[in-house]
Formats: sequence, C-alpha cells, structure tokens
Amino acid sequence: MFILGFHFPADMGNTVPDAAVVAKLDEANVDATGINEIKMFTEYHGQTEELSYTNKDTFMFKALVHYVKTAETDYMIYTNRYQISELSKRLDSDDETMALCKKFDSMAHFKIVAA
Amino acid sequence: MAALRQIAFYGKGGIGKSTTSQNTLASMAYYFDKNIMIVGCDPKADSTRLILHEKAQNTILQLAAEMGTVEDLELEDALKPGAGIFSPEMPHGWINCTESGGPEPGVGCAGRGVITAINFLEEEGAYEAEGLDFVSYDVLGDVVCGGFAMPIREGKAQEIYIVMSGEMMAMYAANNISKGILKYANTGGVRLAGLICNARMTDFEYDLAWALARDLGTQMIHFVPRNNIVQRAEIRRMTVVEYSPKADQALEYKELARKIISNDMKIIPTPLEMDDLEALIMKYGLDEEADEDNIGKSEAEL
Repeated sequence: MFILGFHFPADMGNTVPDAAVVAKLDEANVDATGINEIKMFTEYHGQTEELSYTNKDTFMFKALVHYVKTAETDYMIYTNRYQISELSKRLDSDDETMALCKKFDSMAHFKIVAA
Repeated sequence: MAALRQIAFYGKGGIGKSTTSQNTLASMAYYFDKNIMIVGCDPKADSTRLILHEKAQNTILQLAAEMGTVEDLELEDALKPGAGIFSPEMPHGWINCTESGGPEPGVGCAGRGVITAINFLEEEGAYEAEGLDFVSYDVLGDVVCGGFAMPIREGKAQEIYIVMSGEMMAMYAANNISKGILKYANTGGVRLAGLICNARMTDFEYDLAWALARDLGTQMIHFVPRNNIVQRAEIRRMTVVEYSPKADQALEYKELARKIISNDMKIIPTPLEMDDLEALIMKYGLDEEADEDNIGKSEAEL
C-alpha cells in the first residue's frame, strides 16, 4: 500500500491504520523550523485562486510541510493530496482545515510552497 | 540481476488502458532506467504507438499472413525498438514493442492472436533479452474470454493492474477481470496488484475506486487525474513523459511508475456479487439516483 507516498508492506493488508501513517510522518522527521504558512495555488477552468494555511497544530500542517520538503516539485500529486484530506478529516476538526479539505477534494490541480 | 517481472494492464475498452500503460511504462524506462518489452494484446494494435511514434505497428498476425506462416517470421520483423528516448541507444531504459493483432472485426477469435504472439515470442527468445526487467501485456478485457485471458492462464503475466474509472461499467469490468484472475490464481500464480483509476471526473470517483479496491482485497495504487496534456502528447504520437517530462501529468505517471516498481501487494482477489457492487455505488454518494423510490424518475421529478 502507498499512502502519502510512503510504502506500507503488503502484510499490513489494504487498510492501513491512521496511526501508522502518522508514525511514518513522525519518523520522516522533517524540519519545519521557520515555516509558519503554507501557500497553495489552484487553477480550475481558467480561474486562479491563492490559498493560505497557517494552523500549525494539525495533521494537515505536518503533512503539507512534509510534502513541501520532500517532493521534487511544487505540483501536488492528486492521490497524495486526496489522502491528506481524507486523513485530516478524521484527525483534525477546526474550520480552517475542514475548508481546505473541501478544496482538496476537487478535481482542480494545486501548486504548493512554504511561505 | 533482478528477476524478470511480467505485468499486465487489463481494463474495459476505451478506459484509457493503452494511454495509461504506455505513459507509465515510459516513466519506468525514462525515470527509473527499466528495460521493458511491451506485448500489445488488443486487436486495434494501439498499445505501442506512443512509444514508436507510429500510427499502428504491423502486428504479428499481419506479418505472419504476409509471410505465409508464423514460422517464416523473424523476431526483428515483429519486435521493434522504441523511438526517441526509448531507443536502446539512449541513456535511460529502453522499450521494445510488439503487437499481437487480431482478425477483422466480426470475424474469428481475437484471443488467437494473443496465443500466437506469445508462443512466437517465447520460441524466438524475446523473453531472454539481455537486461530485460519487465514484460508488459496490454490486454482488452471487457469480458475475460479465454483468448484474452491467455497471459493469465498460461502463467505469463504475474501481476495484474486493472485500469478503471468511477463509472459503473468500468467498475463492473474491473470486478469481472478480478473473477478471471481468481479462476487462475491457484493454478498459474497470477495475482491482482492494484487498480489504477484513470479519472473521468465523475462524482465521488476517488471514493468509489478506493472502496472497490478495498472490497476486492487490493489497493487503488494510483488515481490519475485528467489533464489535456495527455491528448496533446497523443496527437504527436508521444507519451507525456517524452513530450514534456517536467509537466505535472508526467509527474503523476512517474509516481505511478515508482509505486509499481516497488509494489509488493499481490493478492488473490475477492470479487463482488452484482448486488454488492450496486450497493457500493449507492453507499458512496449516488444514493439519490439509486434509491429504490427514484428508479425511473427524471431529474425534474426528483
């Protein structure tokens, strides 16, 4: 199984617990020093929208920082983005994060940078 | 040297199977230096056109007909090196291509072409090419008929990737192909390695594809979003990877390629009954349309 780009061995089955994904993120130990905001840009049907995300106490923030720091590009791979949203809906609860999850569930393409 | 892996892309006609397989295999060659032989098993012979930059490759059945018999055919006549960045002279992995071909529409059994092609390639030593990492079969599979099941039945393709979407018929076909895999899993060792959702942008598509994968006992290994650059590359008879290697969509295929290369989840599937498949669709958001009270009602009546 592959979640957020991490590989989970086949013997874990096809429903990996959220805690195992969080543990992988923690193990990755990405340095988030100085990152206070994640900016995203989305374009859909010719309309560009800029999004800002600042809630540092969430799974969402941790996952986005990991993406920014480890991906070779600013383009967000759709599967990873949707998986971040799915997990965040279960692990986070604040309005800012839920609003971003809703955006992530669309078919729009997203670019992401640390601000 | 790593063991040769034989994979297959199955899926219903028109789902984007050949496009997905060629772009993914191109990524495996270009970004990860894998050497690949593509065996096109679709009578329309379009499994290799983006790698060869050609309209359609001459098929093994066509060439055999011209020569008289398949015994008169040489491997180099039927197995062509990829064009451009997929040529053996280029620094990354190479791709060799062949197409089985099939009869005229409405005449004969298309599966015979597949059987003839695989036997020919085996006898001519195509599977023993130096440095070959992957053999990939691209197979039309609306219904897993005996002929099209040949790569599974004879134990050739060991890992099956089903290309599907969130549309009902694509999911039905994916389930049907899983039944075919199940039938031969114990005798031939074939396994389902994952679903690839080639997105049509239907409602709740990701969730539906993911749920089907879960119920089949497998994974949705990647969700490929729609992007017009695929069509722009196809018009030029190229994969996105070659046309624009840094494009967003090329990175999607690169990620899928990475996952296939390191995939260890190969399972015997647990296909669904038709009622369960319908229930799955109802559960994941289409309940209004599928509700028993709404059957036969127009949008205006709902």
